[in-house]
Amino acid sequence: MRILVADDDLLSRTLLERMLERAGYEVTAVDNGRLAADCLCCQDGPRLALLDWVMPELDGPAVCREVRQKREQPYVHMLLLTSKESKQDVVAGLESGADDYLIKPFDPEELKARLRTGLRILQLEDKLVEAREDLRFKATHDPLTGLFNRGVILDLLAREVDRMHREGSSAVVLLADVDHFKNINDTRGHVAGDAVLKEIACRILGSVRSYDYVGRYGGEEFLVVLNNCDESLALSRAEDIRQAIASAPVHTAWGSIPVTISAGVLATKDWGLRPLEEIIHKVDTALYQAKADGRNCVRFAAPAQSPKLQSK
Amino acid sequence: MHSHRQPVSHPALNLDELLVRVDNDPDLLRELLAIFKGELPGQMSALRLAVAQNDSKVTENVGHTLKGMFLNLAAAKAAAAAAQLEELGRAQDTANLEAALAIFEAEVAAVVPELEAHLAKTEP
Repeated sequence: MRILVADDDLLSRTLLERMLERAGYEVTAVDNGRLAADCLCCQDGPRLALLDWVMPELDGPAVCREVRQKREQPYVHMLLLTSKESKQDVVAGLESGADDYLIKPFDPEELKARLRTGLRILQLEDKLVEAREDLRFKATHDPLTGLFNRGVILDLLAREVDRMHREGSSAVVLLADVDHFKNINDTRGHVAGDAVLKEIACRILGSVRSYDYVGRYGGEEFLVVLNNCDESLALSRAEDIRQAIASAPVHTAWGSIPVTISAGVLATKDWGLRPLEEIIHKVDTALYQAKADGRNCVRFAAPAQSPKLQSK
Repeated sequence: MHSHRQPVSHPALNLDELLVRVDNDPDLLRELLAIFKGELPGQMSALRLAVAQNDSKVTENVGHTLKGMFLNLAAAKAAAAAAQLEELGRAQDTANLEAALAIFEAEVAAVVPELEAHLAKTEP
């Protein structure tokens, strides 16, 4: 574990360095508060710190205040070393953001024990952050495919529609439905159906850019938002995705399963600033047209005055 | 100034405490002593100058630093004398600085020989 020692007194600094190295810490030592704050505010800086109270440039409490203000994650456990003993001093030190304090001259074993307490707190904090991130992922992603879930992909679409309109650009929206998916479930079983959905999700992700959004809209429906995508490219980008799915059967433990999708697609710039429901309705209508036209194809939703486009 | 110097009662060091502090490591003790002997003259000069010039702020700061050094060496009496200088500086009590400095110098003079005597015993 890395630890920062900040003390302007060389004797005290050396004593702390040696003691902590012997206890297994990787020590970074500095001789003023400015250097301490800069070191601790780095994203990959030490997460444990021993700070002398009285130091040049910035005193210990000022270092604590700066670190608490500038660095949010991950948490830094800071311990003030002080020869100040009054209750007001202790309160001031803790209110500056320090987690603990030790009065000099400190007992080495007590110092090490308090640092172990700090480590336990940091480990607990790491577990909480991990649990929070896990919950955040579960709340925003589809558990089967790992794609954004319906609520999130719709939020992202709404945000992009608004942003593209503001910037005079276009996003391309694609709604895809797996052809004859019920038949796959009925003949190969639901587990095979799940494997197909997972593979389709992978293929869609593999055929879009890293900053595009892909979500599972419903059972076998996928919603794709291609950010900042010129409307003239909408159909060809949608075709790329369709072909990525249809190009090869999905290999599962229950055999190879040929799969295709039908898709509706639109460019937001063609429609101006419309309510989200209307955009979804338009692209859904184009998807139904693709189904009606024989499946495994893409249909473009354009306003009435635009020339009707289609592919395949 | 030397006329103010008080006789110092020994020991100036709490050896047991000092050994705990350095984890019974004579090499570390030697390293600390070398640092102490290197740092002390500069700090003493600064302190004497500050007292001669009735500079309360510098007296407070240097007194604080010296107090920390002696506390680390388990030299409680020298640390207490340095703390007295720090306190006088903080209180801007310049009238008593010279007397406090004399007491402090006497305590300091007792610390180094004791440290060196102990180290001599631990020489391999």
